[in-house]
Amino acid sequence: MTVGIDPLNPAVAVAPARRGRPRMSSRTGGALLTVGAPLALFVLLAIAWQWTAATFKSVLPPIQDIVTDIAGRPEFYLENLLVTLEAALLGFVIGVVVALLLAAAIVHFRFLRAAIMPVALLLNVTPIVAISPALVVAFGFNQIPHVIVAALSAFFPTLINSITGLRAVDPQALEVFDAMSASRTEVFFRLRVPSSLPYIFAGARLSVAAAVIGAVVSEFTGSSKGIGAVIVMATTYLNLPQMWAAIFFSALTTLALLGLVGLLERLVVRW
Amino acid sequence: MSDTAMSDTTAQIELTGVGRTYTRGKKTVEALTGVDLTIEQGEFITLFGPSGCGKSTLLRLIAGLDTQTTGEISIFGSTPKQASSRKDIAWIPQSSALLPWLDIESNASLSSVVNTRADRSGATTRRPEAAVGILEEVGLGDFRASRPDQLSGGMRQRASIARGFAQGAPLMLMDEPFSALDELTRDTLRIRLLELWEHHRKTIVFVTHSAMEAVLLSDRVVVMSPRPGRIREVVDIDLPRPRTWELTETSEFTAKVAQVKQILWSAWEGDE
Repeated sequence: MTVGIDPLNPAVAVAPARRGRPRMSSRTGGALLTVGAPLALFVLLAIAWQWTAATFKSVLPPIQDIVTDIAGRPEFYLENLLVTLEAALLGFVIGVVVALLLAAAIVHFRFLRAAIMPVALLLNVTPIVAISPALVVAFGFNQIPHVIVAALSAFFPTLINSITGLRAVDPQALEVFDAMSASRTEVFFRLRVPSSLPYIFAGARLSVAAAVIGAVVSEFTGSSKGIGAVIVMATTYLNLPQMWAAIFFSALTTLALLGLVGLLERLVVRW
Repeated sequence: MSDTAMSDTTAQIELTGVGRTYTRGKKTVEALTGVDLTIEQGEFITLFGPSGCGKSTLLRLIAGLDTQTTGEISIFGSTPKQASSRKDIAWIPQSSALLPWLDIESNASLSSVVNTRADRSGATTRRPEAAVGILEEVGLGDFRASRPDQLSGGMRQRASIARGFAQGAPLMLMDEPFSALDELTRDTLRIRLLELWEHHRKTIVFVTHSAMEAVLLSDRVVVMSPRPGRIREVVDIDLPRPRTWELTETSEFTAKVAQVKQILWSAWEGDE
């Protein structure tokens, strides 16, 4: 993939990402390692997959069957992909915007922190996708339940990371501001917000993954369209190639959104 | 000028009986006690002493970043907080503390976008200077568009000092600004700071734990000792100005450094 994503597990990215530093001692050795090593593992995994598919027919479908299925009806997958992408993206944006507004309020008002944090933590320990059926009952067979689940899933990682970021201000820079009697608004917009951006983007990357998981799993119930619905359909007909094609596309959705966030980060965080 | 006290010839910084105690649980720690000190306008004065002597605490009190538990601090006839709200105090911290997302010129002109209320109200006595000019003076004219992470530690510190001078505040407070730098960079920056001070004639209160640095820079050295933090003696440094590096090789200079250190040592012997 050509999108600028840290190949390391984004789920542990709570600290600002380090960029632009060469990690390998020699450039050619580095290229061989970063491209060659995962490629070798991919090939190895593919061989293991094919062997399993040939030996245990009900466990995995052969890769060529998945490819043939996708190639035979790309518009079917594209249509469902777009449905999930829409729910995930919409949920992601809502969840992140609400998280950012709350984080800004929480760092300014102690009573808001006291009020909001326990609720946010309770939300975090609730398996949000379990709310989905209840939301289907409440809102009906449409996109709304899936958008809500995606939004709730995206909310927490960005909330925690942006609170951390807004507080992780260089104390000596704060002294420079304080010695000039900077107003709270000035400290917020000229110091806290810029210094928190790397943290916010680290949180947003976690929120992307959470939003897609939320949208896909939510589509398991009360939905006839979307990647989640395609997976459920495939289960009913024991259609393994379709199931794995759908899984592949849900990974693709996450990757596309991560690319979008990464692009935005490159535009905004340039130091 | 609306406030006559500001243009008064006696205008200066006056500390009387200043003390600061910290309370942690049931324990109280006396960080600073009984500080009496008068600082003249345009003076370069150094607070010198080992760690724990309260020199940084004293500087923070003058800046209004902290409040004394006893005594009075008067800066040009008002409290530190009032002087700070007029932007009449420039603070130069230990690390450069530049904002990494701004280029050097924007960093140096930070004071023009912070506390804009003071500028609008016209209360300030500061005379802001063009950041570009100060950056030229500290030798960073060609680095105005660079970002802090593209500069060496010494250059970042120069940018930080430029930021302080560009504010144009009559009082500048420096909290060990050279302590994180290597010896060679430190030596050149000391001379550069003296040149800036000769040119701009600000009142500078400078905190250091280097006797040599204190003697080289100051008109007077305030020797402080710990437990509790207090002033031992104020030493006049009557060495000629402008001071250059050659001065450090003279016997008068070495004698002054020895004198300052001697005060500290005798204070310690008295303690134990």
